[in-house]
Amino acid sequence: MLSKLWILAYRDLGRNRRRTILSMVAVALGLGLLILMNGYIAGVMDESIQNNIRLNTGHLQIRASAYTEGEMSLAWPDLLRDPEVLAAHAATLPGVRGAAPVLWAGGVIATPNDSLGIQVTGIDTTSTIYAPIREALVGGEFLNPDDRNGIMIGRRLAGELGLAVGSNVSLTVVDSDGNADEGVFTVRGIFHTGIPTYDQGSVLMPLAKAQAFARTERRASAVIIMLDDNQALETVRTALRSPDLQLLSWEDMNRLFIETMQTGLAFYYILDGIVMLIVAVIIANTLLMSVFERIREMGILSALGMKGRHLTQMLLLEAACMGLAGIAIGLALGLSSVAYLTYVGIAIGDIASVAGDSIALGSTIHARFVPETFAGLSIATFIFVLLAALYPAWYASRLEPVVALRG
Amino acid sequence: MDAIQINQVTKTYRVGATQTHALDHINLTIGEGEFTALVGPSGSGKTTLLQMIGCLDKPDQGTVLIKGQDVTRLNSNQRADLRRSSIGFVFQFFALVPVLTAYENVELPLLLNGMKTSERRTRVMELLDAVGLADRAHHRPDQLSGGQQQRVAIARALGPRPVLVLADEPTANLDTANGHQAMEIMQRLNQETGTAFVYATHDPRVIAFARRVVKMEDGKIIDSP
Repeated sequence: MLSKLWILAYRDLGRNRRRTILSMVAVALGLGLLILMNGYIAGVMDESIQNNIRLNTGHLQIRASAYTEGEMSLAWPDLLRDPEVLAAHAATLPGVRGAAPVLWAGGVIATPNDSLGIQVTGIDTTSTIYAPIREALVGGEFLNPDDRNGIMIGRRLAGELGLAVGSNVSLTVVDSDGNADEGVFTVRGIFHTGIPTYDQGSVLMPLAKAQAFARTERRASAVIIMLDDNQALETVRTALRSPDLQLLSWEDMNRLFIETMQTGLAFYYILDGIVMLIVAVIIANTLLMSVFERIREMGILSALGMKGRHLTQMLLLEAACMGLAGIAIGLALGLSSVAYLTYVGIAIGDIASVAGDSIALGSTIHARFVPETFAGLSIATFIFVLLAALYPAWYASRLEPVVALRG
Repeated sequence: MDAIQINQVTKTYRVGATQTHALDHINLTIGEGEFTALVGPSGSGKTTLLQMIGCLDKPDQGTVLIKGQDVTRLNSNQRADLRRSSIGFVFQFFALVPVLTAYENVELPLLLNGMKTSERRTRVMELLDAVGLADRAHHRPDQLSGGQQQRVAIARALGPRPVLVLADEPTANLDTANGHQAMEIMQRLNQETGTAFVYATHDPRVIAFARRVVKMEDGKIIDSP
């Protein structure tokens, strides 16, 4: 019987092809839009976090227990005393791709004409964790460990201050004693990571020079650890645990961003719900119209002995046919849009620079394939379509044969 | 046992303050294998009476017994079961499902009755052959003439081997030749299968086919031989 009901449902949809196709298109556009939106927001989240891990935070950081996030304190009690030892130990742990000490200091870069606030970062120039910066070089050369007055800056900062490779600049930092120290440095290299906030606000110099400049001796702000993948995170954290150390994961360090995005996601869920509701109303309207047009036929089917549940099944199957076809088209539309945004992306230019330091957005945003989310959206759309068919189906099943036969 | 026994059946329709007695204390018995015409002018209650007999509607008062079973006590699902197994319908308008072929239309009640595929196939072709439409089995209603559609409806009504077939003005929308052919087929199948036929009409040429004529007027039976 079900096979015949399928045939009935399928052929009924062909009676008013234009209306059926328009309803399928509504389902397809709705789902396509949902997939695109969710792929895009997943891409923004993922890309921003990956950029932050790659350029700023690493997967895990070791810090002195007194160090406060965001303050960039150079006071000795806030710094790690033996960062090289910690980094060397971390590097031996399974799952660790690289570990290196880093020193951060707030400062000002100045040319004869202009000055800007920046973050000075002392890096272990031999460490593999700076491969992304090495790859992002667009001018000059990467720093040597023993370079005493060389720095690297981002292309945006160079552009703003009119600097080129070989230019001299003045850098000022407040050292660990609280005194302002100034020095003249030469731009050795210019990088372009594609992250406007990073390219505008970072000045890199060899760790030894940064330690001397900020008078921290061999101390460092943190040891940055890059892992092969996230799975090793907890094992490595446990292996490094010590009472006088803080061990912060990338999630801890991106908490503000993650929480902000999760709040934003709630808005997306509401938007998802609204789109599905619109699709459901269109489907309900289509099926109700179709029932009204076929009231006499429903009466005939009842006269032949078809029960209310058969009519309900028939209407649900019609909705299922329409829904499945719409979902198939919607998946094709949505996935191809996500594919385009994943491989080509949307250029947002300088907009990313206003996103704030905690959001490492590139100047081109890419979407991401999230199969489980897309599958969930497709299933949810299908359920919404079936729910939308319940009222027309209920209406049809409640028709009295004698009333229906009168049309 | 009688195929149908109707006792004191009354049906009143109310439209605003106006009451219309569609059926007024009707008593009627129809035996197995009868070929009966319900005759009367428009509004005499023929269609309403067929609806009561066909379990499509319930009377306000009285009982309707089909093969001894009081159908007025059944709920809507039980009445649907009874219609499916024991009653065939032929309507004035050619009441075929437009998206199904002639074959599928005849097959539908057999499917609802759970008949096996091979048996169903044989039965459908046997019925289409009986109404002279075996070669039109895979045509949809819009590819058939009015007369052919009504013959498919007759075949469909007889599919589940019902106790009776109810036909409401079966020739009203047919020309004389097609109407005559439809009545001949119904008469022949009545004789061959022993299924009782009750049809409503006011066409004298159609009344002539009946072996028994029940006359109605203003919701009452005025003559029932």
